[in-house]
Amino acid sequence: MILVAGFSCTKVDNLPGPNAGFKGRIIDKTTSANLLTETSGMQIKLEELSWSATPDPQYIPSKQDGTFEDDKLFKGHYRVTPYGGAFWPVDGVELDINGTTSHDFEVTPYLAIKNLTNSLSGTTLTLTFNMVAPIPDGLPQIIDVKPFVNDTQFVGSGANINNYSDVNKITLNSNYSDVVGKTYTLTIPSLKSGRTFYARVGVRVNDSFKQYNYSDIIEVKVP
Amino acid sequence: MKRFKYIITITAGLILASCHKLAVTPLNILSDNAVFSSATGVTAYFANIYSSLPIEDFKYEQNNGFNQDWQNFYHPGALCGELVGPYGSTYDGAGGFGYWPYDKIRTVNVLIETLPKYASSFTDVQKNQWLGEAYFCRAYFYFALAKRYGGIPIIKTVQSYPAPINELQVHRDKEVDVWKFIEDDLDKAYQMMPETSVRGRANRYVAAALESRAMLYAATIAKYGSANFVAGDARSAGFVGIDASEANAFFQKAIDAAKLLDGKYSLYQKSADKVKNYTDVFLDQDSPENIFVKDYSLPSNTAHSWDATMSPRYMTADGLSRAYPTMEFVERFTSLLITNADGTPKRFTNTGDLMTGLEPRLLATVYFPGATLRGLTFDTQRGLYEHFTGTAAAELSSNPPNQQFRHLSGSTDALFNGKRIIGFTGVSTDGDDKTRTGFYVRKYIDYNKAQADCGLYKSTTSWIDMRYAEVLLNRAEADVELGNTSDALTTINLIRTRAGATLATPGDITVDYIRNERCMELAFEKHYWWDIRRWRIADQILDNTRYHALLPYLVLDENKYIFLRENEPFQRSYTFEKKYYYEPLPGGELNKNPNLYPNNPNY
Repeated sequence: MILVAGFSCTKVDNLPGPNAGFKGRIIDKTTSANLLTETSGMQIKLEELSWSATPDPQYIPSKQDGTFEDDKLFKGHYRVTPYGGAFWPVDGVELDINGTTSHDFEVTPYLAIKNLTNSLSGTTLTLTFNMVAPIPDGLPQIIDVKPFVNDTQFVGSGANINNYSDVNKITLNSNYSDVVGKTYTLTIPSLKSGRTFYARVGVRVNDSFKQYNYSDIIEVKVP
Repeated sequence: MKRFKYIITITAGLILASCHKLAVTPLNILSDNAVFSSATGVTAYFANIYSSLPIEDFKYEQNNGFNQDWQNFYHPGALCGELVGPYGSTYDGAGGFGYWPYDKIRTVNVLIETLPKYASSFTDVQKNQWLGEAYFCRAYFYFALAKRYGGIPIIKTVQSYPAPINELQVHRDKEVDVWKFIEDDLDKAYQMMPETSVRGRANRYVAAALESRAMLYAATIAKYGSANFVAGDARSAGFVGIDASEANAFFQKAIDAAKLLDGKYSLYQKSADKVKNYTDVFLDQDSPENIFVKDYSLPSNTAHSWDATMSPRYMTADGLSRAYPTMEFVERFTSLLITNADGTPKRFTNTGDLMTGLEPRLLATVYFPGATLRGLTFDTQRGLYEHFTGTAAAELSSNPPNQQFRHLSGSTDALFNGKRIIGFTGVSTDGDDKTRTGFYVRKYIDYNKAQADCGLYKSTTSWIDMRYAEVLLNRAEADVELGNTSDALTTINLIRTRAGATLATPGDITVDYIRNERCMELAFEKHYWWDIRRWRIADQILDNTRYHALLPYLVLDENKYIFLRENEPFQRSYTFEKKYYYEPLPGGELNKNPNLYPNNPNY
């Protein structure tokens, strides 16, 4: 009996596992550097076309440094599209994913934070900057600019200290023509003494996703 | 010889058996004839359809669907800041539950196709009434689909099955065509049905009321959805979104349909006490305001648990509460006077003193601290201050001066200097089975019910799916959108008079004012979620938004109460992504039928 039971189940799954991978960078066309984003600030949409013309999409979330990687994919023919971030929509490309496939995408962000300065007076942090749109025509309304402050280097809309961040935002709801050339100042008062904080500025437009274009991250040591 | 005997017997047996006619009507399947040739058969058939109507009643949950269990606090208002409590975020319910009632629609279509074959058994009036009801029910199903998904396949005949797969794999219709189909069905329903009906079933005015609601939805989706939308293939193809130019015609239809109910229904005004009167709107079975209701009973196992799950356990026999009205909701009526001119918190001898002078409708919608129910007081108290100096603003800043003298507790048993730190009705630092905002829902709470009867599955208060106040609000909203401000003013003041509110003046009448009136009047009736969706403002008002509480404290050295307007203690944040303006088509259906692609944008 035991022998029968033992032998009855020996069929091995001989189909290949998800042993392919896909990785790459999402590059800001205007600076040729990685797009400034946050963890899951955008996705790579994967549609596997090997089996169906209308597949259920799967998504690889971005890392904070503007790269992405998924090493548990099935090999096959995919349409891949950078998606859901603060950049002008782009069309996908079709490619075969086999082994570890690398592909870099180029996108144009809606806005860039330029000339960022920061100064600390007592426990109040002041950030000044202006905003530049690489493509001004047809830019959706600019909703708001926000400081994001956190006590780790992972800082963005998904990781911040709310009392320093959201409450100090400036609501704009303005067209780009009302914003261009202006200098904006964000003030973050009452930072806790003796701590090190990481701060950046984010701005978002009223597109389908409402994600942020970010500045670089600055380190702030509060005495 | 013996062998022959057997052979003969068996052969004879076979011959006898073979003569049985097999075309006997099976007794375990009801034939068309049995159902559609008698009034009782048709009535029983309708009972099945009505019981499956997607009425978003006490037992409806946005993420799980209809006829859910006792946890009636899973209220869609708690996804979007009308209430806070059981849901962690807006995302928990925004994707819906994959509602796809084409089996029910088929049941209706079978009746529409089959009943005319038995027309000779009935009078024309009778037959038309039933067909009208069928059109009403079909529109009701399609309305529930359209508000979730936008354009979905319109199926108005009985598909034959089995059939070639390509006949069954239908395509989506455009969103605008679905709304027009709903309108068309409701027009037919209105024309075919009589003026009155038995309780819980439709008559012509029920159809008109639904039409005013549906047309208002279509109109606002056309007007606001064409400005605030998510781009995608489904939108380019018209499966979601309606051209803005259609808006005004839909608004006009909402008004026309609403006007059909003029003089047929009236606002409930039986009691001179405005608070009692407004409370009874939702409890009196014989309200002239009720247009379409759903009843419950203990013997049929349909009773709900509203009483046991919207009030604290302190006042009920079983269950627990988890959903609480927000300060922001209360502030739709008025801002509460809890601080003095110098910014210090106002001192109150009793917490209930805050209710003095508030709009009766507000007091009948929400239980304030200090209110009473079943002989018990809402002794809501967040904690104690040994003493309190300075302003409320300073106490709520990041360096609160009095916090070291503040005492909070998770337990109602905890004492400080012999005084209970929190009330039996909250606010506790543990759990959420006592209020987190200082308020409790009052609407639909049956104050006449003895505490011992307020158990789970023990409430039989009827759900009012459509009431005349909503029809008036539909009309007023469409009016103001079309610039008929004087009709909007008259209409809105009918509602405000009954509410015991100050009357609106012509200068008040704006879109925002009418919307606010709707949010107040129809609070907790499961409209708010759909309203902020169709106005396309949900992504703006739910944008990493945190809601507030009205928290009472006893100041010990003064023996007075103060109120602080604080973040609700769990500090949940709510964000509505733009793609939630439409739910995704159910994945299982997309797998069965690739012709349903493209799915809604961003899914």
